[in-house]
Amino acid sequence: MSKTQSGILRLESANTLKVIMNDYFQRLKDAVETEGKKVAWCTSVGPAELLYSMGFEVYFPENHGAMIGASKNADKYIPSALAKGYSPDICSYLTSDIGAFLQNETPMKRNGLDSVPKPDVLVYNTNQCHEVADWFSFYARHFDVPILGIHTPLGIGELSDNLIKSVSEQFKALIPELEKVSPRKFDMDEFKNTIELSRDACVLWRRVLEKAKHRPSPINFFDAAIHMGPIVVMRGTVYALDYYKILYAELDDRIAKGIGAVPDERFRLYWEGMPLWYQLSKMARLFAGLDTCIVASTYCNSWVFDDLDPDDPFYSSALAYSKLFIVRSEDVKEEMLQEHLKDYAIDGVIYHDSKTCPRNSNNRFGLQNRLFEKTNVPFLEINGDLNDPRCFSEEQALIAIETFIQQLSAKIYS
Amino acid sequence: MKPRLKLGIDLGSSYTKGVLVNGENQIVDQYVVKTGFDFKRASSRIMEKLSENYEIAMPVYTCGYGRDQVEFDHISNSEIIALSKAVYLKFGKKCSVIDIGGQDTKFIKINEQGQVDKFKMNRKCAAGTGSFLEEIAFRLDISPLEFNTLSDDATEEIRINSYCTVFAISEIIGLMKKGATISNIAVGIYNSIIERCLEIVAADETIIITGGVPETHPTIVRLFKKRFSQVESPENSQFYAAWGNVLLNEKK
Repeated sequence: MSKTQSGILRLESANTLKVIMNDYFQRLKDAVETEGKKVAWCTSVGPAELLYSMGFEVYFPENHGAMIGASKNADKYIPSALAKGYSPDICSYLTSDIGAFLQNETPMKRNGLDSVPKPDVLVYNTNQCHEVADWFSFYARHFDVPILGIHTPLGIGELSDNLIKSVSEQFKALIPELEKVSPRKFDMDEFKNTIELSRDACVLWRRVLEKAKHRPSPINFFDAAIHMGPIVVMRGTVYALDYYKILYAELDDRIAKGIGAVPDERFRLYWEGMPLWYQLSKMARLFAGLDTCIVASTYCNSWVFDDLDPDDPFYSSALAYSKLFIVRSEDVKEEMLQEHLKDYAIDGVIYHDSKTCPRNSNNRFGLQNRLFEKTNVPFLEINGDLNDPRCFSEEQALIAIETFIQQLSAKIYS
Repeated sequence: MKPRLKLGIDLGSSYTKGVLVNGENQIVDQYVVKTGFDFKRASSRIMEKLSENYEIAMPVYTCGYGRDQVEFDHISNSEIIALSKAVYLKFGKKCSVIDIGGQDTKFIKINEQGQVDKFKMNRKCAAGTGSFLEEIAFRLDISPLEFNTLSDDATEEIRINSYCTVFAISEIIGLMKKGATISNIAVGIYNSIIERCLEIVAADETIIITGGVPETHPTIVRLFKKRFSQVESPENSQFYAAWGNVLLNEKK
């Protein structure tokens, strides 16, 4: 167990994570450089399993966006995208990613990639938002490669059979188009196998996150936001599954030894919304200093596709990718959050209103007040952005967070 | 021998406020300086002035943006919690506090027991804060305090819609071109601040207005009273956070 100067306990698994993420980037590099190998770009909650099963190496621009944010360079790149006519009000993953591309820069340089891996096809699912289609369109035009999409309706309440079937048909409709560029033809057994690997990794990821129900929690939001890398970019491969076995074992070990992610956990919070990638380590230190562990989040829970079923791979894919939080109605979201608050014994909720990510900012239609009325769990709203630091006032957020913890302290301990 | 008193300092973005508090939790003396570019300098000036007639008990209780930027032994707290403490001591009931400062507007809901139930600050924008007033006054080439006297002669309440200070100035120029008087515009500016405050959170029945802006711009309080029946703004409210900070630590 290693401890940094800040007092934050670092997970030992992070060493393995670094290796397997680097290996992932090497596979992408190899695919670009090797005749016959192909690269598909995919949205973070897009049809990764289908793409992996057809032999593609799969690259996720949102992961790249987060890497740019975490490297604190987004504000250096965004202006280039704005000058090309992209608005400062749209997704800052998009603007920072395109801006970095226009400046011929990438944080993947440390992994040996000089640029983003040239795509052979781009595939999106609008379940998270519609801006991904515009984002991918930039690269489809630039590289003159096909772009394919699944159009999932937004604000889903009931997951009706008709709806799932229609999304399922869209999954199937991708196959003939993908086969025009894929290294190998679609094979049902391969697909089932990939679905099974993805499902098993998702189940394990869910169990990793559920370890945070323990008091003190062995993992916090800031750890999870980093350790979620494999479930985002490698679900459907054995690499993700193997990694989460390692992480799971370490968390078990922490629990057995009574070690918490925040050494003196007094308050347990829920994080609703996107991370502030450029503030991740600062925030981790801030909350640890306030004896506060952010034990659960909508964001990290969004990669739990445990409805995937190898016996019914298309229907279950459609179900799993239409069931996630971001694509659901306000009522369903409210119920899901209420359940999380109870399951994780949450003392307070922080809503991050991310200026350029409306779909991941769930305090814009009164949900925060409705949930408070139902649960009496206090909440705090902070204004910021996932990648653009210019939308965030650090001092104001600091005062608000410190005040919130004092507010909770008075409520809980007085 | 000088009497020994506790010192609370609120190091705000625009002004630094200090109060000396006696054993009965009453303010004995107070002092305010412009914060300027150096929190340490501002807090030292407060310390120097207030220690002329009194001995300062250490540690000093600090809050505000510069709460940890002082050169003496101190205990820091959130100014929102501190302000709530002082307001509850004064009024002793459930209420909404609207604190309008130089850079922040804070909306705090205090419950029957004096605890903070909810609080929210303005978005990262000057709208609804003292900076909004100062910037507009600068562009109109008048002193910000002149808005008070000008608004006394207003004949109608003009609405200024723009959130953004720069756009608000453009809007005001447009209004002037159409013949609007500066007095009517002054009321419009104050009402714009009130609108920004009221959209932060839905207010309780009793509203307590605090902060340096309403204290130096009493028209704001007057206009609040026109809209709501139970509005109070205590005297010297810009010192309440500094005072409450001492009270908070008194309890411990």
